[in-house]
Amino acid sequence: MASVEEVKRALQKPSPYGPDIDLSAYEADRAELVFKEPSGEVSLSARERVGISVDQATYVQVGETVFARAMAEKLFREYGVVVKPLFKALKEESVAQRLAWGLIKADQDKYTAYAYLYGGEAGYYVYVPPGVRVPVPIYTCLSLFSDNRVQTAHNVVYVDEGSEAIVTTGCLVPHGVRGGLHIGLSEFYVAEKARLVFAMIHSWGEGTNVRPRTIARVSEGGEYLSYYSIYSPVASIQAYPRVHLGRGASAKLVSVIAGSGPGIYDIGGGAVLEGEDSSAEIISRIIASRGSRIVSRSSIEALSSPAKGHIECLGVMLDNKSSIETIPVLRTSVEGAELTHEAAIGMLSGEKLEYLMARGLTEEEARSVLLRGYLTAEVKGIPPSVKAEIDRITEYVVKHALG
Amino acid sequence: MTFRSMLLEVKDLSVAIGSHEVLKGVNLSAGESEIHYLLGPNAAGKTTLLSAIAGVPRVRVKSGKVVFDGVDVTSYPLNERAKMGIALAYQLPPELVGVSLRSLAKLVASRFNTEMYVERLSRMLSVETLLGRDSFKGFSGGERKRAELFLTSLMRPRLALLDEPDSGVDIDSLSLIAEAIEFIHEEFGSTMLIVTHTRLLMESVSAKEVHVLCNGGIIYRGPPGEVMGRLEEGGYRGLCAEVEGDGQR
Repeated sequence: MASVEEVKRALQKPSPYGPDIDLSAYEADRAELVFKEPSGEVSLSARERVGISVDQATYVQVGETVFARAMAEKLFREYGVVVKPLFKALKEESVAQRLAWGLIKADQDKYTAYAYLYGGEAGYYVYVPPGVRVPVPIYTCLSLFSDNRVQTAHNVVYVDEGSEAIVTTGCLVPHGVRGGLHIGLSEFYVAEKARLVFAMIHSWGEGTNVRPRTIARVSEGGEYLSYYSIYSPVASIQAYPRVHLGRGASAKLVSVIAGSGPGIYDIGGGAVLEGEDSSAEIISRIIASRGSRIVSRSSIEALSSPAKGHIECLGVMLDNKSSIETIPVLRTSVEGAELTHEAAIGMLSGEKLEYLMARGLTEEEARSVLLRGYLTAEVKGIPPSVKAEIDRITEYVVKHALG
Repeated sequence: MTFRSMLLEVKDLSVAIGSHEVLKGVNLSAGESEIHYLLGPNAAGKTTLLSAIAGVPRVRVKSGKVVFDGVDVTSYPLNERAKMGIALAYQLPPELVGVSLRSLAKLVASRFNTEMYVERLSRMLSVETLLGRDSFKGFSGGERKRAELFLTSLMRPRLALLDEPDSGVDIDSLSLIAEAIEFIHEEFGSTMLIVTHTRLLMESVSAKEVHVLCNGGIIYRGPPGEVMGRLEEGGYRGLCAEVEGDGQR
């Protein structure tokens, strides 16, 4: 663990990827827990922009203000599941104290350092006890509400041995909010033979900068499925979530990026195959439009064998002002590791549009069918409830990507 | 003698792709529920003719017209002609990532009110196992042709333009394709214009007339037996040279 002095020095440490952000341009609020309902504006925006009903959400954070969700917390307590704000969990739960900052290094870069030094440990803590299959998704919602504010959220999820959970998070700014900085830290622990599905939908504003930092550790025989999507304009977003996989563990990281404004989307995913028989798939589906610049980074490193990893990136540009860059990295020095990648980017094919129009579709309908196809990354073996969740998100993305 | 109007009339059609004139004054007509074959050597313009009838924007009509069911559709866009019942089965349909054959079939069937045929036709053409896959992605030659005919059938075509439905397929696929063509013809009363390079299909699906296209023009037409007889004598080279030498079109 880095010393406070080392973390303070890291405030000057930019991320190796994405544009650097001047943190002094933003103001931070104090984290607090309030016992009232969020405003109607928040509820409406959450429903319209990320399709999440605030009534269903077990965790709601607006800026640094966390809204107590007594009913939802109670519902999950019936399964033995703990869902609460992290700052509360750090006072009440020894497991939370042990896990927080266990995967993410506070001095990784200026954003983690900022959250460590000045964040109020707002964010959600989820603990699923051994052998529990949580039957419903755990919905969480984070909203940034002011143009010049920074929001920090630190999420810690522990899915204990043999248990299963789905966490769906919507992050947004309401209509009309253009600025703000969101720093979201997520640490996910998936124990032996456990399974975590993490679905996230982002809808930001044209001037918003976003710096999520995510690390997952999956123990023996565990499974981690991450489904990330963004469809809104943004000033910049830079994220490179990483997953470490133990023996026989598997991960699938799916990113659906629909760039829809002149912002920078530098989004990736990395997997480290540490244990024998571990495997990872990193899949990106990209639509670039309205001058968006999208960089898709993916990396898989195999430290043991046998191990399998595959990177796949498909990107389509809807105009010649937008750009897509894909950077896949495969690395190993062990015999018997199978690592592959494939990528294809280009303009939306006129031939394919024409083909669908020959089936009686209008050009707009044909475009919608093709884009929906691009965004529907193959996610085999997922439970129907997650499939429904992903279909819901895909519909959102297609609808908004097509304007 | 009763007068029977033509469903399709191609009149003095000249067509270019880019700056290259591919078709030069083509005339061709087909009546309701008739089956016609279109033969010709490679690069004669067969695919271009089907594309021009269907309204594919890549091909540009320079002069002449396409009349469908008495309506001059020369200026109609591709999807409007499809809605009217002109269905083009592509020689090489594109791979559609993320668009399953099932979802595409459902979409087409809902447009043309043929939902009740999806299961029957998928069985007939043996594409059931392909329904869950991305359309045409990684399909074998036979699978591609059967899947394309499956989708074309679901358009309940009044005029089916089949571009080499039998090329690159094995004998088993060919018999399935022939059976499906007969089915479409009988069930929907479709008029058909079929491009082929083999006589196997012609032996399975009998036609009223065969048209031979050479160097951008129809140089010969007649009953299948007669045309095949001429072709067996001297091939396309002989027939094209002989007829063009006579100044016939």
